Amino acid sequence: MSVKSYSENKTTAVKSIVVLVLIAVVLGGLLAILNDILYVSDTERTMRVIKNFYDGQEKQYEVVEIPEDVRTNDFGTVDTVYLIEDGNYLIKTTGNEGFHGGTVTMWFLAEIDGGEFIGFNKVKYAENAGQTLMSNFSDDYYNDYLGDDVKNGFYTTKGGSNNKMMAGATYSSNAINNAVNSAYCYIDYILTEVSNDEG
Amino acid sequence: MMKVKDIALDGLVRQNPTLRLVLGTCPTLALTTLAFNGIGMGLAVTFVLICSNVLVSLLRNVIPDKVRIPAFVLIIATFVTIVSLVLDKFMPDLYETLGVYLPLIVVNCIILARAESFASHNKVGAAALDGLFMGLGFTIALTLMGIVREVLGKGSFFGIKLWNFKIEFFASAAGAFLTYGLLIAIFTVVYNALERKARRKNFSGAFAIHSEEQQLAKEGVNNG
Repeated sequence: MSVKSYSENKTTAVKSIVVLVLIAVVLGGLLAILNDILYVSDTERTMRVIKNFYDGQEKQYEVVEIPEDVRTNDFGTVDTVYLIEDGNYLIKTTGNEGFHGGTVTMWFLAEIDGGEFIGFNKVKYAENAGQTLMSNFSDDYYNDYLGDDVKNGFYTTKGGSNNKMMAGATYSSNAINNAVNSAYCYIDYILTEVSNDEG
Repeated sequence: MMKVKDIALDGLVRQNPTLRLVLGTCPTLALTTLAFNGIGMGLAVTFVLICSNVLVSLLRNVIPDKVRIPAFVLIIATFVTIVSLVLDKFMPDLYETLGVYLPLIVVNCIILARAESFASHNKVGAAALDGLFMGLGFTIALTLMGIVREVLGKGSFFGIKLWNFKIEFFASAAGAFLTYGLLIAIFTVVYNALERKARRKNFSGAFAIHSEEQQLAKEGVNNG
């Protein structure tokens, strides 16, 4: 390689790096500013979920502390719990044992009255990890979990009194069932706490 | 500079990214269960196309040839992030529906192809128009596909219930492939028919001019 072409290559390389770095810095700065302006806070996100569950109405709520031994159960985890002003609980749980060990996260609006679980008033799918067939599950499928059927026994994909699954998506169905069961585990904990307090 | 009409016709018909070039098929197949999703995705892509084309065109003499692709990807990724931030803030439902396909706009072939083949060789105005019409072509195709699949697969039109009759197959992945194939076939048949008609018109026009010239020549000879 001649001295001239080496020098030309060096100049081109330096110019390329400088241009790329400059573009990255300028665009990164722009994104940083926009991120600050368009940031969605956790409070705003929670209110969105509440509005979604209450047909656009805003409701006051308080965050409920979840004891560490209650957060994890045999079916999954209880991620977040809010006590809404009307006394209902908004519970977010993640069900384990989905396809390839993945998970499904769901929201539940649970009605508890006089120390008794009345039922799930609304059930909504939130997100998943590694489940490729989630689009197969419609709102009608989730609506089958409404009410207090879970009191009769945990949901399973085979056997048991509460058998629920979608053909062809057994693992994802299992993760959904586990999310429901996990929510009921937390409700069971609340009911036990209430009865202990009264006792 | 290319005429606006040419750029518009290229984006909407002659080089329609979805129905002629078969680019961006991933969101086309996955998101068009509802017509509204098609419009949402189409407009998001249009915004990214216009902005990235403008910036690529502005920087076309600055970006060294050897690093043009990483530079284009950086530019496209920035505008995709901006769209994500805006949708998350102001249209959370659409943001959730578009899901993973929104960040995947970064690797959408249409955008990179237009940056590489058009914006990096043309002036800002033409590049912006190309982005606009390519985006509109994509949006129209996605919306059409969404309408067909929503009406047949869910019995509704833009969320308005039409009837209880529905063929759920059209809402499934296999239904997406079938609908897409049929739309491409119909579009190609109509496009070819129109093109043949235009060619025939041009040919007969040219023939008429030729005959007229011959006639004039003959008359000239006779008069002479």
